[in-house]
Amino acid sequence: MRGWWKRLDWLALAVTIVLIAIGTIAIRSAGYARVETVFHGMWISNLMTAGFGLVLYFLIALTDYRKALGFVALPAYVVSLLLLVAVLIFGAEQFGGRRWLWFFQPSEVAKLCVIVLTAVLFGAARSRVAGVRTTFCGFLLAGALVGVPALLILAEPDLGTALTLVPSVLVMFLAAGVWRKGLVTIVLVGGLAALAVLGAVYEAERPGVPAARREKILRYVPLKAHQLKRVRVFLFPEEDRLGAGYNLRQAKISIGSGGFSGKGIGKGESNHLKYLPQAISMNDFIFCVWAEETGYVGSAVLLALFGLLLLRGCRTAFRATDGEGRLLALGVTALIFAHVYVNIAMSVGIVPITGLPLPFISSGRTFLIVVLCGLGLIQSVNIHREEKKHD
Amino acid sequence: MSAGERESCRVSRVACLVVAVIVAAGLLQLAFRLRELQVDDAAEYGYASARQSIRRVQIGGTRGRILDRRGVLLADNRPSLSVACRPAVFQRRTWEATVDAIEAAISNAARTVGRPSPLSRKTIRRHVNQTLAMPLAVWLDIGVDELARFSERANEHPGFFVLETEERIYPQGSLAAHLVGMVGRDRGEATEGDEKYNFFSPELRGRAGLEHYYNSFLRGVSGERKVLVDARGFAIREWVVSEPRKGLDLRLTLDSNLQRTVELQLRGLSGACAVVDPRNGDVLALASAPGFNPNEFVPVLRSELYSRYSSDPRKPLLNRAVGGAYAPGSTFKPVIALAALTAGVPAELTYDCTGVFRLGQMRLRCASRWGHGSLDMRHALMKSCNPYFCNLGLDIGTNAIQVAASAFGFGEKTGIDFGIDMSGTVPDADWKMRMYGEKWFLGDVAQMSIGQGMLLVSPLQMALAAGAIGTGFRVTPRLKADLPVARTPLPFKAENLAVVREGMRLVVAGDGESRGTGWRGGVGVPVSVSGKTGTAEIGRGATRRKNTWFIAYAPSEAPTVALALIVENGESGGVTAAPKAAEILREAFRK
Repeated sequence: MRGWWKRLDWLALAVTIVLIAIGTIAIRSAGYARVETVFHGMWISNLMTAGFGLVLYFLIALTDYRKALGFVALPAYVVSLLLLVAVLIFGAEQFGGRRWLWFFQPSEVAKLCVIVLTAVLFGAARSRVAGVRTTFCGFLLAGALVGVPALLILAEPDLGTALTLVPSVLVMFLAAGVWRKGLVTIVLVGGLAALAVLGAVYEAERPGVPAARREKILRYVPLKAHQLKRVRVFLFPEEDRLGAGYNLRQAKISIGSGGFSGKGIGKGESNHLKYLPQAISMNDFIFCVWAEETGYVGSAVLLALFGLLLLRGCRTAFRATDGEGRLLALGVTALIFAHVYVNIAMSVGIVPITGLPLPFISSGRTFLIVVLCGLGLIQSVNIHREEKKHD
Repeated sequence: MSAGERESCRVSRVACLVVAVIVAAGLLQLAFRLRELQVDDAAEYGYASARQSIRRVQIGGTRGRILDRRGVLLADNRPSLSVACRPAVFQRRTWEATVDAIEAAISNAARTVGRPSPLSRKTIRRHVNQTLAMPLAVWLDIGVDELARFSERANEHPGFFVLETEERIYPQGSLAAHLVGMVGRDRGEATEGDEKYNFFSPELRGRAGLEHYYNSFLRGVSGERKVLVDARGFAIREWVVSEPRKGLDLRLTLDSNLQRTVELQLRGLSGACAVVDPRNGDVLALASAPGFNPNEFVPVLRSELYSRYSSDPRKPLLNRAVGGAYAPGSTFKPVIALAALTAGVPAELTYDCTGVFRLGQMRLRCASRWGHGSLDMRHALMKSCNPYFCNLGLDIGTNAIQVAASAFGFGEKTGIDFGIDMSGTVPDADWKMRMYGEKWFLGDVAQMSIGQGMLLVSPLQMALAAGAIGTGFRVTPRLKADLPVARTPLPFKAENLAVVREGMRLVVAGDGESRGTGWRGGVGVPVSVSGKTGTAEIGRGATRRKNTWFIAYAPSEAPTVALALIVENGESGGVTAAPKAAEILREAFRK
């Protein structure tokens, strides 16, 4: 423990604090655009949440992950599964899904728990599972580990959250060497299936396709009506600007009209004149608010900060002295990257619109705490890297 | 790192590098895409943003005034105050709730202003649906008391404010009302050249008369205001981009003194009078009775008032001077005379008048019950002898009459710069077959020769014809003072014109037993007057009426004034119309 401040990744901490500041500014801008005065003070609650999250960050960072996680990982995983079941039963219905339990979203907590348990089971030297990881048995275990919470999250339904869990855990499995042949096959099959769905929707929704043929193709496409609509908007963004394509169109207008240097903080017209959909401007579309007010300069700075933070995560993983630490750092980094990439990419029309928060910037409290805990784990890997020698 | 440690760390280091590369690649892709949106296409998205959030609003310029030839104001502007409200102050979650809030606020403010709300819920909803970014004018043209009451407690009514506009005022009241016309308030349709605007300020637009005909001349150049609106269309902020420019003043050829005299002569009657300067076409007076007061239509034309006017059987809204189609009666005889002279009939030709003209079954009576005896063309004009002109017309035929009539412009528009310009009818065989499916009989020729039957003219046409006989030129009438003069010589020989002029002089000038039918038309006029009376009979039996005419030009030697006056349901041209014409001519030549 001595000299932990020397091993702490100060750069990552600094970047984290700057990102929290940026998030607070963006939430303040988005909140003041709302008619409901409740949201005007949202930035203060975000700061308070961040403060609480930073306390957890340091507590976790100063705890030796090797000692603690062995005891915590499995119970935490089980509890998170119970919470996921509870949210399906007691959760408040909102926007066509049950995602909220009291004041937090169990699905966000579950993602971190899955990552932690995966790291412990497949990374730790003491783990009995580690021995069978390269076999089909290990593969089945890994599948169950991710599959159960993923299915529960899908049942909420929250496709976006379930989809971010998959790549981060997949990265960990691949790194840990879990039955590579099978994994690679599954990744390939999954990718091809996604492409096939996209292709089928394109073929069905192309202008000039007779209604009968459209019906026939769509019968085989496993998408719900609102998901189909989003895929359609993604494939044909210029159609239906006032209907389903409105959100994407407005997101692009606010980002694009920000120009190189932006309209000034608190002066984003798309946001303040409520063209940007109000219900999601503080969460899924918060990047648009920031990009409009600070322009390309601001969005590039934000991307650079995320890049710095994520590459520091990769560095920590690279320098980790044990499999557990390396898997932890990789999993958390992959999870944050998945959120950053999908959120910004959907705002600029690269991927279909899915409801995913942007780490630090969106106003979700549960997610902010989860992300800070995850980064705390990475710091713990940094701090406790060398300690094994002295045991 | 020891071998044991390496063994314990079974997780691939390469994976870390791969993830780092994927992170870098993903973020770079986003950076490139953002560069596309925020740098390359920034202008396009900036335009899209402005287009969806900025509304262009047209501001109308102050309307030009209308003046008579001496500068007397016929139409002017006065400042007008209205109480209006801004819908944005009352926005609620749903549109219906917003309409509710506006309606409640208006009925609340109504107690302060002291006038009930003039707007129905439907009107408020239409405003919210269509012109949300604009203020909603509630009480138009409020008085001093109402303004005082509202201003005192304006802070109790947030969202309401006093809107300054202009209203039209007609200082001369009903004078020349048919001519000047009236204005109405537009509700947002584009005028020529203003298509780029999203919204239009409720602007005055000419609805009738010169206000209508010269609308684009009077209305000035629009200014522009921009309004920043939010996603729902509520106004957030507005600023003026360009100020409107005032419209031009319209100077008329009209003489308001003469116009007043003319209207006085027509008071209480149905009829019309046109007074022109035959040298240049100046319209000195153009009156139609009964009339109306255009100030009653300001600030808005109320429907009950309009329906009262439009359902009045005497048709006060009809401009009879240019829009009335009347049989000219005997005032058409000078045209017949010219047609006959042109056809080679000598002026000295005489016919015998027995008091009645017979043609087959038809009997046409003369003004003189016992007949005029034998008379020539000059005296036939002077005494307005019907049999003489029936015979003359039958001798020369329809075609010769038509040629002469069209030389004066009968059957076609006069070309006056006014919205109404009745062309009238000069019938012939084709026309009658087309309209009635009947043949053209000799009786039709006889009727036409005394200005009856299917022949129809407007009073303005008659005044212009009278002037043309006096000067030998046909002119295009003009109301706007600076229009160019358009004159064409009449295609008649000077000696033929001289015969008709002599006949028309005798109509007024004669004396004692030998005086003409229109002698009353010259009484008290300081210059010599030439004229012609006319009494056109309409209908048969119980509905039989007489429209009485007098046309004249003066001074006889070099005419400067020509007029035509018609009084509906009069006694005769000489008794009813001629004395009124004399009054008008006295005013025209008053020193």
